[in-house]
Amino acid sequence: MMLTAKDWLEKIRALPLTRRVRIMNVCGGHERSITMAGLRGALPQNVELIPGPGCPVCVCPEEDVYHAIQLAMHAGVILVAFGDMLRVPVNAPKAEPRSLEQAKAAGADIRPISSPQEAVSIARENPERQVVFFVAGFETTTAPVAAMLLEGIPDNLFLLLSCRLTWPAVAMLLDGELPGFDALIAPGHVATVMGPEEWSFVTEQHAIPAAVAGFAPVSLLAAIYSVLRQLLEGECFLDNCYPEVVRPGGNAAAQKQLQQALNVVDANWRGIGIIPASGFALASRFEGHDARKHFGGFEVEGRKRVGEMPPGCDCARVVLGKIYPNECKLFGTACTPRTPVGPCMVSDEGACRIWRASGVKVPSTIE
Amino acid sequence: MCLGIPMQIVAIDGYNARCTAKGVMREVSLFMLQDEPIAVDDFVMVHVGYALQKMSELEARSTWELLDEMLAYDPDMQGT
Repeated sequence: MMLTAKDWLEKIRALPLTRRVRIMNVCGGHERSITMAGLRGALPQNVELIPGPGCPVCVCPEEDVYHAIQLAMHAGVILVAFGDMLRVPVNAPKAEPRSLEQAKAAGADIRPISSPQEAVSIARENPERQVVFFVAGFETTTAPVAAMLLEGIPDNLFLLLSCRLTWPAVAMLLDGELPGFDALIAPGHVATVMGPEEWSFVTEQHAIPAAVAGFAPVSLLAAIYSVLRQLLEGECFLDNCYPEVVRPGGNAAAQKQLQQALNVVDANWRGIGIIPASGFALASRFEGHDARKHFGGFEVEGRKRVGEMPPGCDCARVVLGKIYPNECKLFGTACTPRTPVGPCMVSDEGACRIWRASGVKVPSTIE
Repeated sequence: MCLGIPMQIVAIDGYNARCTAKGVMREVSLFMLQDEPIAVDDFVMVHVGYALQKMSELEARSTWELLDEMLAYDPDMQGT
């Protein structure tokens, strides 16, 4: 018989937990479901759910957003991007646009899209123009970009690629002195594409319990129960609580397409730094579509706070799960979904936006 | 962005499918599922216009209910 969310909650409450357990999730979709369903309030007090690196827009390098703004303002291109990239702020002088949205208001041809296929259509409909697709995303978004490339794209379409792999950020945290969590909820749709096995290093190399979860409260609660039980029994294994779409090995065709279209490279994470083998570059056969190579750089010498978060913004520590969103002093005061300062308040997957939009007022601290 | 939407396939033309979710029609690429047998009426998990994986009708319907709750909860997230 299928267990309901209530059944799982009862099972969790019945566990003989005596110590504090911090469970990290690395997916904005998970964080949204957890917050929306009010899971934090429903769980025993010593079980903490920490939002970790689960927002690709939040870690997209500041330089890349700045580059996109400059291309749109000065290269005469049509710039297309997923909607939430448009409001991400950069550190530009006051007279200059500080986001793609402001560049659009200043006359740049910037168009929000919701699928890589739209980028292809816009390029086909405008053969006399150069079109730049600025894309940040984790594997779930990167695989469709690879599919788009392999299906064939027009000559006038260029990519400004800021895609990232999810697991290397978790590996970096676990290799650090204070990982800051005792168990992991692994991302459901990343595992759908890449296979759950990608996360076995968490249980096998670090003896940290882990479970792949879907986005319904029932799946998240099953995963929370699984990792708590693993902790209590002292035996770690990678559980799959999202078998609906997460199959052993993942989507093999999609992984092959990723390998054919893109190379894995060291990559910069905004406010965090370089994480080895955590990003993607176009494979040599697609180099002609690389916006960085085709248009060159636009970085101005002497620009202040290059690569950093905006002044006073604690998004980098929020992304790493070192503090809760409400521990940032700008949260809900200077920084709100309507007037975002940092990227975590912009993106639908940013923990700050999710907490603020849902009116979370838990005076929580992680330390 | 990683939130997928289950859709039902209405028509297939090569790697392109016409899919529906609660009355909304979308063009969806089946390119990532090219090694899977796919037929009209199948349910797929769609993300940024690409089908990531097949799923059952029961799973699709329970995810739709979840999405409805989310949209009712945060109107700002509609259309994103």
